[in-house]
Amino acid sequence: MLGQIARFTNKLIADHSAHPREIAFAAQDDIIVADGNPELARLAGELLSRLSCLGMAVARPALPFADFLVARTPRDESHIVPRDTETRTFLHDIPFLRRGALGDDPAAKIARLLGNRKGIIVEGTGIVASGALTVEQAYINWSSIFHSAFVKYLQDVLHGGFLLPGEAEAFDAFRRGWLRPLTAEGLVFREGPLTDPGEILDEIAAVGRYTVERGLVDSFFGNISCKSGGVIYISQTAASLDALDGCIDPVPTDNSSTFGITASSELLAHRRIYEQSGASTILHGHPKFAVVMSMECAERNCTVTDCWKDCDRVRFLGDTPVVAGEIGAGGLAKRVPPVIAGPRKAVVYGHGVFTVGERGFGDAFRSMVEVENWCRDAYFRALEGKLAKG
Amino acid sequence: MVSSVKTLGWTETVLRVDLSARKSWRDAIPRDLLHAYLGGRGLGVRFMRDHFRLNPFDAEIPLIFSVGPLCGTPAPTAARLTVVTRSPLTGTIYDCSAGGRFAWRLKGAGLDAVVVTGRSAVPVALVISPDGAEIVEVPQLWGRTVPDTVSALSGRGSVAAIGPAGEKGVLFANIMMGEGNSVGRGGLGAVMGAKNLKAVVASGDRQTGIADPQRFDVARQDVMRLFRASPIIFGELGISEYGTPALVDLMRQRRMVPTENFRRTVFEASGNYSGPAIRRDYNARKDGCYGCPIQCKKSTPEGEPLPEYETVSHFGALNGIASLASIVRSNTLCNELGLDTISAAATLSAWGEARGRFPTADEVPGLLRDTAMRVGEGELLALGSCRVAERLGRPELSMSVKGLELPAYDPRGAYGMALAYCTSNRGGCHLRAYPISHEILRKPVPTDRFSFSGKARIIAIAEDTNAAVDSLVACKFSFFGATLEEYAELLAATTGVDYSPQSLKEIGRRICLTERFYNCTNGFGMKDDLLPERFFAEPGSSGEGIEIPPVDRTRFAEELQKYYRIRGLTTEGTFDDPDFLLNQP
Repeated sequence: MLGQIARFTNKLIADHSAHPREIAFAAQDDIIVADGNPELARLAGELLSRLSCLGMAVARPALPFADFLVARTPRDESHIVPRDTETRTFLHDIPFLRRGALGDDPAAKIARLLGNRKGIIVEGTGIVASGALTVEQAYINWSSIFHSAFVKYLQDVLHGGFLLPGEAEAFDAFRRGWLRPLTAEGLVFREGPLTDPGEILDEIAAVGRYTVERGLVDSFFGNISCKSGGVIYISQTAASLDALDGCIDPVPTDNSSTFGITASSELLAHRRIYEQSGASTILHGHPKFAVVMSMECAERNCTVTDCWKDCDRVRFLGDTPVVAGEIGAGGLAKRVPPVIAGPRKAVVYGHGVFTVGERGFGDAFRSMVEVENWCRDAYFRALEGKLAKG
Repeated sequence: MVSSVKTLGWTETVLRVDLSARKSWRDAIPRDLLHAYLGGRGLGVRFMRDHFRLNPFDAEIPLIFSVGPLCGTPAPTAARLTVVTRSPLTGTIYDCSAGGRFAWRLKGAGLDAVVVTGRSAVPVALVISPDGAEIVEVPQLWGRTVPDTVSALSGRGSVAAIGPAGEKGVLFANIMMGEGNSVGRGGLGAVMGAKNLKAVVASGDRQTGIADPQRFDVARQDVMRLFRASPIIFGELGISEYGTPALVDLMRQRRMVPTENFRRTVFEASGNYSGPAIRRDYNARKDGCYGCPIQCKKSTPEGEPLPEYETVSHFGALNGIASLASIVRSNTLCNELGLDTISAAATLSAWGEARGRFPTADEVPGLLRDTAMRVGEGELLALGSCRVAERLGRPELSMSVKGLELPAYDPRGAYGMALAYCTSNRGGCHLRAYPISHEILRKPVPTDRFSFSGKARIIAIAEDTNAAVDSLVACKFSFFGATLEEYAELLAATTGVDYSPQSLKEIGRRICLTERFYNCTNGFGMKDDLLPERFFAEPGSSGEGIEIPPVDRTRFAEELQKYYRIRGLTTEGTFDDPDFLLNQP
């Protein structure tokens, strides 16, 4: 258990999502163990003792966006509703507790709310997330809420500007200090075509690590594949992109076997992309600015309300097409393949980016970096324009 | 007296039937009992409180059919019921859930449960409608197969019936739903047969009220979105497309296919009966439980139900049979005769190893018929693998826990499964904690299948969760995508009573501990929480870079003790508090 706690503490530090000194995890088997920031570890342990789950993550995000979201929300509301796909599908919404509502026994209040949900925001404390079965699950839920809060805050600021004291300064610090340049420089990719199964597995694992290490995606989000002959080698469902060794399924393209049942939920999308694009590799991630910008639509008087699934238009972020569609067996697998064949890249509304490579993963990776950098620039241009107008 | 102000979701009504006295009447179910046990398994287990010591064949043992608060609503996969009594096969408290139209029709008759006691002097059918219940003599149906019985009675409603196996007291006889679903394992069909109850027919059509339709609809959409996001459910290689035989290839790849009575863990010919093979050879079409969006069952274009994963694997690999046609025939025969396919195949396998030769494909149909009719070799086989192996002087060859034959996941390939087989209150069952979900299928998150670390806690939590699921009653396959979070919302929206995932797990824990208490009172303890020796002494079939060593006996024992501590039990797996039940609602 302690090994698991150390592993996921290090992941939160490595991806800069949490304050290094304000992270704690707890886990329980027949006893409870907790580690990390003493105050937060005590809280994590107390929460675990009140709930039927194995893991607990309590950490203050490195960015104050979650607290800002709570403060910006009207006093009579108790949750925020990010519009991105991950929230809609897995979290639905994110409940929060205001600082003043914690009372004399914060653990009791937090446990009561957390008993309903995978994770919550506690103003002034951070994100608190449980894992029913594993410490990793608590980490995933924490990371999901961090991602969703990030996306929502950027959207809210773009539309509503800064409303609170200190927001503008904190945002500036985020832009100048937290954000890292996104680049593929220095990475080594195997030249394709990739044909040796062992080599393919190694390359997929390496490229998966690159996407996380370079800050292109959070570790839990995304999937990756390579087609060679009649086999699609694809990352498994619920696999972290930076830990893909042993988590890649070789799936026959003719569906003659079903052991790929554990493959990513986007297997169908990958298969159709290969069929229509003739590509050799596919990279799919959820880079944050692309997710934010994919939901910005200039259309006026549009009658579509559930844009994320019902919009049938192809919009563009620069030269990258944007389409709507639910994940898995939803519409994404129908709408992405037709638009990706030409530009070799596509964005899914509120969800993420698909890119393809012709022989290896180098071009797919660089393409994803370009899309995210374009969206990052576009976001700040739009924000500056918004702020300049007042 | 039934309250005039009802909580939505429940009917707050139980139909009590005394077959000895030939009378039936409706009683109110106290609301706090429903809130505390939900329905289905939980309610049935609670109703057994004063009867759990009875011999399963005692006339007074209750046979309980219990639906849940979500039944009759559009909640996905919730048109199910649970049957509860004490098992003649295992001696444990026993429940089994099944889908089909029957549960919905029973709820539509204004009932949360039917409790049948007594024994009829002649074969009867119980016919339930919203207006009442009728005990109908059906001597002409005694001896008839399940399809014949269903056909004879279907004009009066949806049918749950036993076949010849139940009539003859085969210890693993099923109760079969008219649409082909089975109340399987544990021999509940034999309990029904001992009551001379050939069938129960339900014909209700009342709607189940929903307290907050808008909230319900949001929760339902959340569930459906999660189903679509799950590769296991709606993925192109998932169970909606191929049914549970989608697992055949996966288990082969993971090298954990019980083969030749668990002597090996790879069966080279398993591809003959994989999901794609069944689709190809039988032109399989989607089928499934009433109102279920997943439709994981598969049938021929003529409507003949095709076998599920456990059945193909056990009539295949476990007996060394490579013929899909033979497996399909075995499945059909079991359905017609009212036999449980897992226990039937596993009993044949243990018997085969004991006599030095597994049955051939040609021999199986005759053996199944003999078993159901209890003639020839069938007289012995009807007792299940545990008693068969004991009587043949080879008790170690029964691959069972608490007398319940293990299903098609070799415990040497998944250590959580190894532990869960043993802690299960109904014996060697994969569905109590269902660790295959995370150890193999990576849902909701993956765990290391070759590690015991954390598994005691994981199993306890999963047992509690699934006890709640079995009490809603929802299908466990829903939880390859959705979670208790969404189902708690559905429940709260339906009933108007606040529930959370945490409160549902607490209810599940109450149910699990109550079951364990019943079992311990009846003499069960740590000695029964044990895998067959083979799994500690013999390796599985290693290869392709995957080692399948024997289960580490020491680590297993340590984890079992952890489980006991988590459950608040003694080191012998029993209760310190003899008054445990008095402290439960």
